[in-house]
Amino acid sequence: MGRLFAIITSATVLLWADRAPADVAKVGLLADFTGAFATWGPQFREGVEAYQALHGKTVKGLDDKLHEIQFIYRDTASQGPDKARQLAQELVLHDHVRFLCGLDLSPHAMALADISKEAKVPVVIMNAATSSITRMSPYFVRVSQTVPQDVAPLGPWAAAHDIKRVYTIVSDYAPGYDAEAYFIKTFKAAGGTIVGSARTPQQETNFSAYMERVREAKPDALYMFQPAGSPSVAFVKAYVERGLKAAGIKLLGGGETQELFLPNFTDDIVGTVTSFHYTETNTRPANLELRAQVKKMFGDKAVPDIATLAAWDGTRLIQEAVAALGGDAEGLQYVDFMKGKKFDSPRGPVEIDPVERDIIQNVYIRRVEERDGRLVNIDIDEVKMVKDPWKIDHPPQAN
Amino acid sequence: MGSFGLTVLLDGISYGMILFLISVGLTVTMGLMRVVNLAHGAFAMIGGYVAGYLTQRGCNFYLAALAAAAAAAALGAVTERTIYRPLYRKGELAQVLLTIGFVFVATGAVTEIFGAFPYPVVFPPYLTRPLDIGFRQYPAYRLFLIASGAAIALLLWLVLDNSLYGARLRAAVDNPRMARAVGINVSLLFTSTFTVGCGLAGLGGALGAGILSLEPAYALKYVVLFLVVVIVGGEGSFEGSFVAAMALGIIDTLGKYFVAEAAPYLLYTAVFALLLWRPKGLVPPRSLA
Amino acid sequence: MRRARVVAAIGHAVPWAIAVVYFFAVPSDLDFGTQVMIWILFAMSLDLALGYAGILTLGQAAFFGLGAYTAGLFAIHLSPDPLLGHLAAIGVTMLVGALTGAMILHTTGVTLLMLTLAIVSVLSQYANQATDLTGGDNGLQGIRLDPIFGVFEFNIFGKTAYFYALVVLFGWFVLARRIVHSPFGRSLDGIRQNPHRMRAIGTPVWWRLLAIYTISAAMAGSAGALSAHATRFVGLSVLDLLTSGTVTVALILGGTRRLYGGFIGATIYLVVQDYSAKISPFFWEFVVGGLLIATVLLLEGGLLDFGPAVLRLRDRWQAGQRR
Repeated sequence: MGRLFAIITSATVLLWADRAPADVAKVGLLADFTGAFATWGPQFREGVEAYQALHGKTVKGLDDKLHEIQFIYRDTASQGPDKARQLAQELVLHDHVRFLCGLDLSPHAMALADISKEAKVPVVIMNAATSSITRMSPYFVRVSQTVPQDVAPLGPWAAAHDIKRVYTIVSDYAPGYDAEAYFIKTFKAAGGTIVGSARTPQQETNFSAYMERVREAKPDALYMFQPAGSPSVAFVKAYVERGLKAAGIKLLGGGETQELFLPNFTDDIVGTVTSFHYTETNTRPANLELRAQVKKMFGDKAVPDIATLAAWDGTRLIQEAVAALGGDAEGLQYVDFMKGKKFDSPRGPVEIDPVERDIIQNVYIRRVEERDGRLVNIDIDEVKMVKDPWKIDHPPQAN
Repeated sequence: MGSFGLTVLLDGISYGMILFLISVGLTVTMGLMRVVNLAHGAFAMIGGYVAGYLTQRGCNFYLAALAAAAAAAALGAVTERTIYRPLYRKGELAQVLLTIGFVFVATGAVTEIFGAFPYPVVFPPYLTRPLDIGFRQYPAYRLFLIASGAAIALLLWLVLDNSLYGARLRAAVDNPRMARAVGINVSLLFTSTFTVGCGLAGLGGALGAGILSLEPAYALKYVVLFLVVVIVGGEGSFEGSFVAAMALGIIDTLGKYFVAEAAPYLLYTAVFALLLWRPKGLVPPRSLA
Repeated sequence: MRRARVVAAIGHAVPWAIAVVYFFAVPSDLDFGTQVMIWILFAMSLDLALGYAGILTLGQAAFFGLGAYTAGLFAIHLSPDPLLGHLAAIGVTMLVGALTGAMILHTTGVTLLMLTLAIVSVLSQYANQATDLTGGDNGLQGIRLDPIFGVFEFNIFGKTAYFYALVVLFGWFVLARRIVHSPFGRSLDGIRQNPHRMRAIGTPVWWRLLAIYTISAAMAGSAGALSAHATRFVGLSVLDLLTSGTVTVALILGGTRRLYGGFIGATIYLVVQDYSAKISPFFWEFVVGGLLIATVLLLEGGLLDFGPAVLRLRDRWQAGQRR
């Protein structure tokens, strides 16, 4: 009996050890492909596939060896961090991936901190936007954004554009709290007044009571932070229905007006001003290249968004790292290679912070307008190379 | 302050009307057939999607709402005969499980066909604008909800209270054995009632899409709310579900206005307290009282 | 007679043998095995309350989540000893189980269902808002554990977590078996079938229900503590209504009132889910929904009833032939 075990185990171990030939570098991408957050996974995948179709799956290392970068997709199925952790563990132990990436939700990324350290696997974060994440493991590199980074430039912009009194309404969860804190902080610092604040349940679609309170407070503008999908659509609808727009109260926001979600709104949303790190109508060559490639591969209905973009940039970083260091470098060597990297992303110029491993990028102030019968975001201002403000407020502790 | 009180009242009532419209079918089926039908929200969702599909292609909103009711009713009739019938003899647990299974299938189907994003119903332009109601501007859509909800409630009340069908239904809810004994065709009554209940849910799903947004998670997200209305009102009680829907609509709106931070707890704490106080609901039908 | 006993003994040994073999055969997927055992324990806890005693609850996630948060917070703020944290989780969930049970167990049916649902919703809202305590939506971070007995370390390979879960599961299983075969367990059977009659013959129905509800809560809390320790993370999803739903589905799939039902159900559920996530993630909802409908309509007693159900169909078919 014991012998049989020995044979079975050694056979299985051999089998698995043999799975990854030397010239294939596997990359595990974790995201939600089903469930409540099912839009993320497919968008990531399109970004990866578009990049690889245009720039090749194979890179030539300095050692003249060819390395194929192979992505393995795993569905966290909107089941939370436990699932993400378990899948990551499998990808590391079973599939021997050299990199992990994807990660739409912050808790998923956080749950991977221990694994990345124990397995020494670099993790390229393609969305998860809570500031503190990159401090949780030296193997984390973020190519997406942080909530404070996107929000902070809006306060000073509003104060400089005749908006003196603002009411804030955010969704009742951690990113909402971050957005609320940074909008209020930067707006007050620029001389503005906050006349009221409210937090709404996460999946709220009945905003009438909140809008009544805003009406009574008569602010110059209303700042919102709502999850994409039904809550933000219902929010804008209530804002118009309750006569706030007619009363001249401006609407400020962030990710709610992304191109992907604009078709869900009516032209009620025209005039909304948001701050964000990617504007779909920018005419930089890199953006045109990304958009043309995605439309070519996935049809006219495909809409590249921040997930596509981050996957595109993340794939680029991973492929360049393998090209420079080969397929068998230490995890931290790859991370060191990515630190301080500057390149032209479709969103504009970006840099990976050499200390924090977080992205530094322009943040754009945009207004929703109607062009040729379609709703689009148009840049009206930009703040160059914004570093995550939370990191500036919370300097790394000296060891 | 008076005008403000009236506004909050209107908001609460219009929200309550939608809850009532969708839940009334559920209360009758739960009271009559003793089926814990967690899939009721799925019928409302399907109705809503039908209306969304049609109105997005330029169909008249009212026709689309009727089509939504018809589609949900037809689906209700078919499922009653095939899936629900074997359930009547099984325990509550089996019913809960099977109907959740149905919800999963419906959610998967909707995601496949219509995608994971919210799916809008296109309302006529005059319903999307605020209307002058004397002391202020008020959303026309909400007034429309109150009017149509009240009209349907009145119609239902007339039918239930004055027609032979209503008398049979009430008899069957209050005492199913006696009803059978006096020669009421209970099987036909079940099918027709279930069909009408699902039709109303479909109608509610279409009309209420401006407040309860359509998305694949709809069936699961709101069914708890519908169940709350039914159980707080008292299973099988038409009046009870009306009272409960209005009460919940108004409590929810007031809570959000005055104690926004506690709003998420408020509804469930209220339900908890109400049910401990009156485990059989606010207005239980005679058979249970 | 002796042969039957031998067969039964082998039957009992099978699941545990599989669990041990899995450890050696699939060393790279131990984390998955650990998850399965956690869910088996969770399903077993529900079997006691819902299967044996007929307490219609959709609130089991309240105890799972409470156990997980207690174990996590204990490790962060009080002591990194996993066993002490586990005991604390069991203690807290027992207490809360007894308190809430005392409030709601005089009701039955859908009212009870609604009350359990309200409890889990309120707890989940609280955990979301109390970010200082729970980390809210970001989850509870920074759980550090000492090695068990100072020797076995929790790490990425998950060996310690696997055996830890296996031992805890076995312990609860032995206890649950003793309970359901005791006179107390038999009286629960009677209460489920006819509470009025049981009351008439002098059984303290309410007390019995409260006792089993409290034990069930502690067991679910223990499963939650295992989950917190194995993943060293606690997220809001542990208190999700969907978690309650999932465990119910797993139990029913396997079959209630068998204790082993949870073993089959949780395993099948997680394996199918894992598999469908790897192959084609999109049909997961269809698969679960279809499985549920089929189980309820065709298999009275869950998948454990699959064999007998086939036999019944055959008998019916043969009876038809004779006619």
